[in-house]
Amino acid sequence: MKRNESTEFSSERFEYLQTLVTEFQDTDSEEAKQQVLANLANFSYDPKNTEYLLQLQVPDLFLDMLTEENEDFVEFGMGGLCNLSMDPECRDVILQGDGIAAVTNCLSNRREETVLSAITTLMNLTTAATRSRTTEPGVLQCMLRFSLAESPRLRNLASVFLQDCCSQEQVRRAERQMQGPQAAVGIPLPRD
Amino acid sequence: MAAPVNNSSSCWKVPEVYKHHEQQKVCISRPKYREGRKDKAVKVYTINLESRYLMVQGVPAIGVMTELVQLCALYGTVEEYRPLDEYPAEEFTEVYLIKFQKLTSARAAKRNMDEKSFYGGVLHVCYVPEYETVEDTRLKLQDRRSYVMRAARNRAKEKKEKAAMNEGSTSSETTSTSDTVVTRHEPVSENLTTGETSSDSLHPVFPPLPLPPHEYYSFRCDNAHEAGPKEDKMGTLHNAVTNLKQPQVESLRTNPSPFNRSRGTRCKLNSNQDPEFRFLPRTKHLERRKRKMEEAAEQSAHVSGGNEPLIGPKLPEPPKLDMEDDSLNTTVSLIRNTMKQVESVPDLKPGEKKIKPRRRI
Repeated sequence: MKRNESTEFSSERFEYLQTLVTEFQDTDSEEAKQQVLANLANFSYDPKNTEYLLQLQVPDLFLDMLTEENEDFVEFGMGGLCNLSMDPECRDVILQGDGIAAVTNCLSNRREETVLSAITTLMNLTTAATRSRTTEPGVLQCMLRFSLAESPRLRNLASVFLQDCCSQEQVRRAERQMQGPQAAVGIPLPRD
Repeated sequence: MAAPVNNSSSCWKVPEVYKHHEQQKVCISRPKYREGRKDKAVKVYTINLESRYLMVQGVPAIGVMTELVQLCALYGTVEEYRPLDEYPAEEFTEVYLIKFQKLTSARAAKRNMDEKSFYGGVLHVCYVPEYETVEDTRLKLQDRRSYVMRAARNRAKEKKEKAAMNEGSTSSETTSTSDTVVTRHEPVSENLTTGETSSDSLHPVFPPLPLPPHEYYSFRCDNAHEAGPKEDKMGTLHNAVTNLKQPQVESLRTNPSPFNRSRGTRCKLNSNQDPEFRFLPRTKHLERRKRKMEEAAEQSAHVSGGNEPLIGPKLPEPPKLDMEDDSLNTTVSLIRNTMKQVESVPDLKPGEKKIKPRRRI
């Protein structure tokens, strides 16, 4: 019967993900941890797995990775959060785990992929209730700097953040705050 | 279709070699249970890394640009393409930039073309999101967001339906059958159940369903519309098992219209009690014909005295089987006559079967 097959398949999937999480928690090998973390982050891309990952508390696992010393762990954890945070349920779990603070910290990471994932995650975490925190002046100034960066990807993402998540007044205020002897005066932000 | 781009607009300036262009080393230390069908590097894909823009390296410099674009076009509409002369390339190879109309096409092209042989060279295909404009990036994120939201909504609906089902009935066979139908294919279930509930007043949630062969048939003809590969055992919708990157979005996105049709068909099957006045699937016709042929064969056996072995060719007989259609009856009798003529000619020797030369693509 098809129902049994699909139920079996779902439980197989859950069990496999559970095995991954268990290996991550039990293993001493950094290499194995890294591989499993990458797997989980990639599984997070498919909405079919979201429910199981939530049950296995994988969003919290990713959040924990943001404070690790290993830069790969941070990058993969941030990537996993970027993938998961588009789902509303996952978003709420991340917010409850003080995700905004942890993700904002990653904006100053030296790896571009980590920063890009952080910007996208912040966009996903921006709701009516959280807007004041995700678009606080420090973050806006950071985004303004990114919008003038050499890297096109960084520029684009930062521009989308400023245009879609903030009001024009907020952006102007942040621009004014940035203006000083060393600031980039007079350079307009990309507009539509 | 696709337009070669010769002018240098802002998004087509001198390319930089980024880290994500580099092909990373394949991971060889995975334990067996985590090994995929194909060895892959340890890499995480996010929506930021994926793009409608692909870069194809390793194309042999023998003037095969058209062939390359044709190959790419197999996976979806190519909007623009151009050679990246400025990009560092291996000797005797060229690098091309391909812009697809859809991200899903780029995903499919990358999955299928990366590391594949092409006119004697090996292609290396990667995303190049740095070629996007701000608007491209915004649209990409928006598309991704609406896809995830839709999936989340479907999931929530399914949960509600399951909860309602569990409350509504306990050991009813009908419910379990309908459960079979509903849970078989996630995106379908929502449409199906809404279709079914509207046509029934007896059951709280699901109407009495017809025989399983009907259901499976309607599923079959609808599932034929799906594009792309199915999920594998590990829940990935492509080759990789452990490094899941690319769920097949297109197949899910194209679902609504075929499955709306299926809802319509299913509503009909459920509500109409008399099958004779509706379109019957071909299998039904064939089964009926087979039954009649068997009955006719029994009758002829009785008429000819049954057990005596027949020697020599049979005498021509009037058509025993009424196909309920004049043109079909004519066709059947023509075929029967032809077959008798053929049977009267000795068979060809078995060794004379002609072998077709294999066509190389």
